[in-house]
Amino acid sequence: MASCGNPATEQDALMLRRTKFDKTRVCIKCRTNPGNVVIRHAVYCKECFFPMMSTKFRRTLEPSINAIPNGPRKKGLKPAGNLFLGFSGGLGSTVLLDLVSQCYFSNPTGEDAAKGGTDHPRNASVWKKATVCYVEMCNALPGTRDRTDEMRAAVEHYGHFDFLPLRIENAFDDAWWQKVGGQRPESHFNVDLANEELFMSAQPSPSSDSVASLRAYISSLPTQTAVPTAIQTLIRLLLLHTAWSTESSHLVLGTSLTSLSVSLISSISQGGGFVVREEAEEEWQPTVHVGSKRTVRVNRPLRDIGMKECAVWAWWHGLQVVGKESFLGGKQGIGALTKNFIVGLERDYPSTVSTIARTCGKLAPKDGSDTTCILCERPAQLGVQEWKARISIRSFDEPALASPPPHLQNVPSLPVPGPPDAAPPASLTPRLCYACHTTLTSRSSRGSTSSSLHANSTPLPMWVVSDLGQGGAHDHDSEQWRTRKMQERDMKESIAEFLLPDS
Amino acid sequence: MSLSLKVEFSGGLELLFSNQRSHKLSVPALVPKTYGETSSETKPADITFLIHHLRDNLLKERVELFMENGTVRPGILVLVNDTDWELEGEGEYPLKEGDEIVFISTLHGG
Repeated sequence: MASCGNPATEQDALMLRRTKFDKTRVCIKCRTNPGNVVIRHAVYCKECFFPMMSTKFRRTLEPSINAIPNGPRKKGLKPAGNLFLGFSGGLGSTVLLDLVSQCYFSNPTGEDAAKGGTDHPRNASVWKKATVCYVEMCNALPGTRDRTDEMRAAVEHYGHFDFLPLRIENAFDDAWWQKVGGQRPESHFNVDLANEELFMSAQPSPSSDSVASLRAYISSLPTQTAVPTAIQTLIRLLLLHTAWSTESSHLVLGTSLTSLSVSLISSISQGGGFVVREEAEEEWQPTVHVGSKRTVRVNRPLRDIGMKECAVWAWWHGLQVVGKESFLGGKQGIGALTKNFIVGLERDYPSTVSTIARTCGKLAPKDGSDTTCILCERPAQLGVQEWKARISIRSFDEPALASPPPHLQNVPSLPVPGPPDAAPPASLTPRLCYACHTTLTSRSSRGSTSSSLHANSTPLPMWVVSDLGQGGAHDHDSEQWRTRKMQERDMKESIAEFLLPDS
Repeated sequence: MSLSLKVEFSGGLELLFSNQRSHKLSVPALVPKTYGETSSETKPADITFLIHHLRDNLLKERVELFMENGTVRPGILVLVNDTDWELEGEGEYPLKEGDEIVFISTLHGG
């Protein structure tokens, strides 16, 4: 019985430390062996831990393998295409690779092996081909080294995966874009990140140096938080486009419960609340193929498995974790702060972390969307810019706001509206979702990147350029909206025919 | 009297300890109640003592990646003879001769 008396006077008054496990130290599964590990208050022995992990993994992945998700699986698992696995070298993706290998590509052992022989349909692979893709980030993160060879060794050790290395600068590379089936854009565009409207200008001689373009893009971003978010978006789209080009129906990622909770909270705090569902699971197809039957289904089969379980699995299986570069944007970036918070929370209140993911899994945006963000290729909320214009201060003309806040003093002010007939330059803003627009434009009172104030000719990733090059930048068919302050006389003229004459 | 222990680091933690995964060391069986003090009050050596001992004797760099608030940093898993230290009383587990203590970082990517 716990007591909360005065510890200064009563020797035994300290509250007893609460154990991290429920009731007994015996495994809750077999109820015979002493436990070896505590998973969210439940105790498992070593023998029961491995099947528990495999079951959780399969339970998350298998309902989405057949073309109709959550449909009947009596006739077996028949995916519409190949398997594509995103591998970062981190703990989650190392465990994912091991689980995929063990559950879907290894020869059955034990009782199952004896039934029906090796050619029995039950023993056939679920996926005909599995590709493991690693995106090397060393050119985006100064001071980091190229780890492609280590990743290759870790993947080829299994013997049944194709290893496909990519580099993050491929996002700006014409050759990669054409290789994954993209059309060569007729013209390239730069964007002015110093202006909220993100005006675009044609790039007469596009750089053929994709590393330089990548670095220009990253160094133009306004905050330390924007850098990891932008890198994550680039990696995600590189994986998706490459998965599509390899005729893969499934892209699986090693996002554990812990890292999913981090990315959910981090994404919501950066304006990504509208796509909170897509953060956990999404169905994607390239913008140019919208409506096609073929999609890439993104699944995170470790989303019910915490980092702790992954670490224990890796240790007991003797897996070598290559490790990955941290790109969370310094200690004060939103991603790094969220990760520290969630990891601390997981130690002290382990069940709360799964509550985050489960609660976010129940969220859905109030209104649907039929538009897609040109940068992240996720659903974009309608009318965001109008809403933003209504709720925020957009100019400093009023006397009270003559002096902009300190962190915006060096930022060029919004453009003065030109004469009514002047054609406005094409703007990227209406094509972006709230989160991407915030990433590209939101400035902070601290943590600005050094060169973010000279961001008036930032290159764009290939999928954006390609989409714009197909008429997106000067789309004459769609409506063009422009906001300008009208004079009282102009307003009166526009409603003149409805006004009653003065009597 | 001293205890012989085997200490292992994994998941990237070994990089803080001379890039060496396995260490054999011996620690005194009885240690001061508060680490670093030379009081007459002693207690059997426990994992909390071992963590401080590792920090002062084996850790080569960046203590903040190993310790926080007198214990291991959140995200570091400790196994005592292949069993989660949460089942063994965490830092209060009294060390025994021949114990194998493993420190695994879960933060080496994801």
